[in-house]
Amino acid sequence: MQQEIIELIVETARELGEDELSLTEELNADTRLFGKEGALDSMGLVTLIIAVEQAIEDRFESPVALADEKALSQTRSPYRSVATLAEYAASQIQGS
Amino acid sequence: MHIEFLRERFSESSDADALVWREQSFSYRHILDEIDNWVRILDEEQIAKGSVVSIEADFSPRAIALMLALVEHNCVVVPLSSSVANQIPEFREIAQVEAVISVSADDVPVITRTGVHVDHPVLLGLKEVAHPGLILFSSGSTGKSKAAVHDFVPMLEKYKVPRHSLRTITFLLFDHIGGVNTLLYNLSNAGCVITVPDRKPETVCATIERYGVELLPTSPTFLNLLLVSGALEKYKLDSLKMVTYGTEVMPESTLARIHEILPNVKLLQTYGLSEVGILRSKSKSSDSLWVKVGGEGFETRIVDGMLEIKAKSAMLGYLNAPSPFTEDGWFKTGDAVEVDGEYIRILGRKSEIINVGGEKVYPAEVESTLQTMDGVVEVVVSGQSHPLTGNIVVARVKLGTDENLPQFRKRMREFCSERLARFKIPQKVELVDQSLHGERFKKMRKL
Repeated sequence: MQQEIIELIVETARELGEDELSLTEELNADTRLFGKEGALDSMGLVTLIIAVEQAIEDRFESPVALADEKALSQTRSPYRSVATLAEYAASQIQGS
Repeated sequence: MHIEFLRERFSESSDADALVWREQSFSYRHILDEIDNWVRILDEEQIAKGSVVSIEADFSPRAIALMLALVEHNCVVVPLSSSVANQIPEFREIAQVEAVISVSADDVPVITRTGVHVDHPVLLGLKEVAHPGLILFSSGSTGKSKAAVHDFVPMLEKYKVPRHSLRTITFLLFDHIGGVNTLLYNLSNAGCVITVPDRKPETVCATIERYGVELLPTSPTFLNLLLVSGALEKYKLDSLKMVTYGTEVMPESTLARIHEILPNVKLLQTYGLSEVGILRSKSKSSDSLWVKVGGEGFETRIVDGMLEIKAKSAMLGYLNAPSPFTEDGWFKTGDAVEVDGEYIRILGRKSEIINVGGEKVYPAEVESTLQTMDGVVEVVVSGQSHPLTGNIVVARVKLGTDENLPQFRKRMREFCSERLARFKIPQKVELVDQSLHGERFKKMRKL
């Protein structure tokens, strides 16, 4: 599932476009998203997170929250990279 | 005695058309006869002077005459139109209605007593001074409906100054301050009010063409629907001299397009609230959102960027909420404004400002931009709380295209990227099928 979500995030980020997300480099699992060397600022992150939430809901037919208290209180931020976001999303889907 | 000046005007213009209703004209003589008829009925039915009476009807010669007869009878009038049909029992209870007078679709009046005993201090105060009153409910588009009680006597005062009247469509109903204003303004100047069976863009345009309507008082939401409908191009609207708009923020884009299509029509912004009445207003020009508001009986001031009004014709109070006035009688409108000399520009309701990561977003500005996109029929922008930025901007859009959400979202982002600051571009988009406005053609921002 995680691989599928990685693809979904990459696809969503591409759809949002470079302007929106200032993602210029090649997008893949290792792409840094937010924080140190991250490609996104907070507006970009919010936009991506909401779009990914929506894409996951469409694909897996189950709503998922990627920016709630729980996500924000993780010791290791799930927003570091595409892979960590996908991992967190997968855990949320399976946990629900 | 309170409508003596109206009776005089009606007598002077007894052959003039007072009302067009169901494709038929009714003269001022007819209205006078109807008033006398009601006076007799109120007497026969022993409706006590000063009673709280609801009129449950849409605009008709009979309903209008009833309202005036009740004013003459010192009653507190509670107009309830079919647009609030499912709230009628609740509204009757809040207003402490003692007698219900309904006028059915075939114009037959029915009088029912509720057995309610009036004990609200504001209503008792009116009875005490033997003044007629008016209770208007706010639309509740931003929360629960509040019942504003007016003393009819100061309210009528401003209509005693004769002014020029135009053949006017009643767009707002008489359970709305704007509708009451349109009605009283026209009646007091022996003008003609033209009613419409519904408020579809096609119907309104056909009515303008057919009856030579000169003034259309309406809302920005309706004007936007009018633009989208294509009805403006289909009908001859040469008679139209003025369009007035109010009750919500006018999107810049809607105003520009209306002005482009109707270059000879004067576009005037109006400003009023059920709590203080309708102010006199003057737009800088037809394509300007800058407006001067005030006039006799009104004082205005700006405090912390918010408009405040002191009005002679202010309501006495709410029946179901604490007084919103400051101790010295100022009403905080909650409307954020910009000021340029004598002119103000209304930005939006303070309560609707969206704070995105510390940046302020006014829904009207975003709506104005989105409405210029092809295929956007209606759009409502509001805030939603979000853990990352405090709030996010959410756009609910009714589309006239076959696009799915990702397709539209992509197009919207591209469109907005050159036109709006990044934090103003909706982070979330929802596509909806249903209309995004209420019965009064005002955007519904609350979900």
